Amino acid sequence: MAFSADLDINSGIAKITLSGQLDASVAPDFQSQVEKAAAQQAMRLVLLMNDLDYMASAGLRALIFAKQKMGSGVALYVVGAQPQVMEVMQKTGFDRSIIALEEYDPEAIENL
Amino acid sequence: MSQLRVAGSLDSLGEIAEYVMAAAGEAGLDQQTSYRLRLAIDEIVTNIILYGYAGAGLQGDLHLQSTVDENALTISVVDTGVTYDPRQTPSPDNLDIPLEQRSMGGLGIYLALQNVDQFNYERVDDRNRSTFIVHRKTSSAAE
Repeated sequence: MAFSADLDINSGIAKITLSGQLDASVAPDFQSQVEKAAAQQAMRLVLLMNDLDYMASAGLRALIFAKQKMGSGVALYVVGAQPQVMEVMQKTGFDRSIIALEEYDPEAIENL
Repeated sequence: MSQLRVAGSLDSLGEIAEYVMAAAGEAGLDQQTSYRLRLAIDEIVTNIILYGYAGAGLQGDLHLQSTVDENALTISVVDTGVTYDPRQTPSPDNLDIPLEQRSMGGLGIYLALQNVDQFNYERVDDRNRSTFIVHRKTSSAAE
C-alpha cells in the first residue's frame, strides 16, 4: 500500500505530510510520526493532506491518538483534505475537533 | 463474476482495494460510490484480519467474489476466522463527543454499514460470509 508520512518540526510547529492511502496496514507509520512530534513537544500539529487519496478508520484512530498524545492545548490542523476524506471526517464528527483549512495559512497557523 | 483469494493479513489490503476498485469500475459506479464501497470492504476485512484471525490466534485466507447484474454490484468476502458478525458490534461513541474523549470502538463497522446500500452477514459451516451490495445508478439518475 503506497503511503508516506513525513514529519517536519520547526519553531514548535509539527507538520506531517501524508501521501497515498492510509489504511490499517500503514497507520502505525503515521502514529510513529505523531509520537515523534509529541516527544518534541510541538505546540501545533498540522496534517497536510493534499496528496492523501484515501483514509480508513485506522486514520481516524490515529487522529484520536494524536489529540490524546499531544494534549488538549495543542491545535490539530488538517490542510487540503480531499472531499471524500473530509466527508468521512464529517460523518464521524471528527471535523469538530480539528481545524480544517483548504490551504496552509501561515498567519493562522504560525501565530503561536 | 471475478474472484480473488489472498492471505488474511494486513498486507493484503492493497490488493483487495485494487480488486474492489476494478469491480466498481466495471460496474460503472461513480467515483464517490466506488470510494465508499472500497472503504466499507476495507473496514470489514481489517476487522476480520485483526479479530477474526489474528486476535483469535488463527490464520487463513480471504476469498472475495464479485458479481454484477442490471441493478447492483455484489461483493462477498468469505473467511474461516472465528464467528464474527459485524452487525453485532456496538455503535461508536456518541459522535458529538470531542476527539480527546472518544474511545476507538465501532468506528470501522459504522463506516462500513453507512457506505453501502446493503450489508449481509451469515455463518455457513466454518465460514463467515459478508456481502456488500451497491446499487448501480443509470447515468441519468439524480444523486
